[in-house]
Amino acid sequence: MADATTRFFEDLDRRGYEPLLAKTSGTLRFDLQEGAHTHHWMVRIDRGNLRVTQEDREADTVVGVSPALFEDLAAGREHGIAAILRGDVTVSGDPRLIVQVERLFPGDPHSRGPRRFFHREVD
Amino acid sequence: MSKSNHIRILDGNTFVVSEDTGDIEATPSEPTGLFSLDTRFLSTWVLTVNGERLNPLSYDDLQYYEARFFLVPGLATHYIDAKLSIIRERAVGGSFRETITILNHDEKPVDLELRMDVASDFADLFQVKDEILNKKGEIYAEVEPDRLRLGYRRGSFKRETVIASSVPARYDKGGFGYTVHLEPNEQWTARIDVQTHAIGPGGRDLRMGVRSHGTERLALQQDLEEWIANAPKVNTEHEDLATTYRRCLVDLAALRFSPLSLGGATLPAAGLPWFMTMFGRDSILTCLQVLPFTPELSKTTLRILAALQGTRFDDFRDEDPGRILHEMRYGETAAFEEQPHSPYYGSVDATPLFIVLLDEYEKWSGDAALVKELEAECRAALKWIDDYADLVGNGYIWYERRNADTGLENQCWKDSWDSISYRDGKLPPFPRATCEVQGYAYDAKVRAARLAREFWGDPEFADRLEREAAALKERFNHDWWVADGEYYALALDPDGRQCDVLSSNIGHLLWSGIVDADRAEKIAHHLVGPRLFSGWGVRTLAEGEVRYNPIGYHNGTIWPFENSFIAWGLRNYGFAEEAATIASGILDAARYFDGRLPEAFGGYPRDLTKFPVEYPTACSPQAWSTGAPLLLLRTMLGLEPHEGHLAVEPRLPAGMGRIEVLDIPGRWGRVDAFARGRLDLHQLAV
Repeated sequence: MADATTRFFEDLDRRGYEPLLAKTSGTLRFDLQEGAHTHHWMVRIDRGNLRVTQEDREADTVVGVSPALFEDLAAGREHGIAAILRGDVTVSGDPRLIVQVERLFPGDPHSRGPRRFFHREVD
Repeated sequence: MSKSNHIRILDGNTFVVSEDTGDIEATPSEPTGLFSLDTRFLSTWVLTVNGERLNPLSYDDLQYYEARFFLVPGLATHYIDAKLSIIRERAVGGSFRETITILNHDEKPVDLELRMDVASDFADLFQVKDEILNKKGEIYAEVEPDRLRLGYRRGSFKRETVIASSVPARYDKGGFGYTVHLEPNEQWTARIDVQTHAIGPGGRDLRMGVRSHGTERLALQQDLEEWIANAPKVNTEHEDLATTYRRCLVDLAALRFSPLSLGGATLPAAGLPWFMTMFGRDSILTCLQVLPFTPELSKTTLRILAALQGTRFDDFRDEDPGRILHEMRYGETAAFEEQPHSPYYGSVDATPLFIVLLDEYEKWSGDAALVKELEAECRAALKWIDDYADLVGNGYIWYERRNADTGLENQCWKDSWDSISYRDGKLPPFPRATCEVQGYAYDAKVRAARLAREFWGDPEFADRLEREAAALKERFNHDWWVADGEYYALALDPDGRQCDVLSSNIGHLLWSGIVDADRAEKIAHHLVGPRLFSGWGVRTLAEGEVRYNPIGYHNGTIWPFENSFIAWGLRNYGFAEEAATIASGILDAARYFDGRLPEAFGGYPRDLTKFPVEYPTACSPQAWSTGAPLLLLRTMLGLEPHEGHLAVEPRLPAGMGRIEVLDIPGRWGRVDAFARGRLDLHQLAV
């Protein structure tokens, strides 16, 4: 099992509550498909309260993605919305859930963020 | 209207731009086509009869989503054979539909070969605009017995145009045709349906059935009728103003846009043709302009922008936690990260303006629930202002793009490369801070303090915000005041040196309330003085500055949207005559565009050109230009929510005559406002 993927879901489950999802409720299933094998991660959101299981249950939104791409998404190396626009990630059901959950993925690990001007002089 | 003879119809972000025959023949310099999701789905759509192109007799753009072309065979140079007429009726709304009707007026039967040449280059809107022309994927055409399928494939990215006729046609890879026999006075009709598909690997459409409106013409018509019926009525003796008001309402309806995956809620897109998408700054400013007329746009805009507020650091997208987005795109270049718009966050004004809009919306609507719903987003926005936007560490909002390839250099509303300069014309280094954004930050803190006290139950936070706002105002009035010109600098460079040109941006400062009371009169005089005011409106840069150019995009043109906010600011500081001067200049200009103000027009003196000269590539209709007359109406009528009711304090120029605005919606239910023009503006005329 790929590392960043498991860490991402375990972290969500451990978090228990995510303020960014305080206005969101619903069920979201990630289907990580490779050949005949599909690994399922089920995320239940109830006004910000989170629970993650590895079940193949009916969900409001189903996201299809390869395990390799998901690993990149979970590590911040790939961007979820761009991947959806490209067709590398498919979404069926209520699209609002994935747009909200996508915001929990990490940013690009090479991003430096805003730098204060006075810091640059020492660079 | 626009100088080009292009006919545009649209619904959300699907639109068709064609010649006045209805034909589409796109070239890099003729950006015609059927567009949806920031992709061109048809680049050729040319109708011929017996091998001949058709000649336009007339066209009607019936509604924003439909048009009708009356045509006869032969080019304009030929003798017009009026024995045959062809009518093309088309509409967008979900798909693109065209009905072709041919009438034989002759006493003899005719045999006709009809042909539609069809092709698509599947250009990304950015490629159309920037003339980049090498597609990385593969274009294909598939002929089926009852349809023609044109497609583009690049990895999993797939876009398809599917064309099907209601009567049997002969399809080939370059179009379709019919052989038609018509008896005398007989007519023939075919309905052609053009579907646009954005297909993922599972065969599902990216749009997943999310639509802003119904796809049928009747649903669109009903929607437009309801939209107009719900808006206040404006009665006026001033016929041009009535035309302008109606034009604005219809264009606003047309510019409503439903982002993918947000449940069908609509917000104003920025403008046709390049900006039929979500823009933080444009959507917020448009909502502010139209609040007294169509307040529901504000609620959805705030919710959508909140739902997409930044959560992490992403240098490619210039994203930070708490930042409000700049622009969202759905085309190939966004998908493959050749452009950062998925979404792009590189604007510094959308974040404070988000809070300004929420507070203003609550004052009008009394919608306390939304203020509570968006508390976390407002706090994150305020934190962005303090923590991530202050790149110099001196308490101002600065910008410097982290995406050095495709990010925006200037992240304020004047976003062209040469818009910010010193008096000697040189451009300052980065980071830069522009004055109007500091005003927005001040206003955001003052307004957030009210929200914290009245709705979030956090008086300590409110006190802190008020202290910070007061300190910002004091600091700003010290650091930005250009002593020898008696106005505020356009910007500061990272060493604190002033970009000391006289610019329109000082007008925004009045709107935000950051101008010290004893300096307001000076600012008002500059705004209607000869260097800034052309007679039509306030120039972006004053005449006499090194970079001044009457058709310089942000260095001398006049932007109706900006003028509407300047007028609002003048009125807030008690300069009603000056506000009315600007309002009547811009509304006079609207007359020359049949009520549809362009993005910008030239800064030439009014007495020189006698008519406003449209900026060459201006976008039209554009949301914040469409909103400008509505905000000017509000300003002249002195409409202001006050302790739960609507205060009306009209100050109209004498030439406006009597104006009634009926059924203004708000927390008061619906109220009417009446005004009569009494102001004599001659004393102010320049």
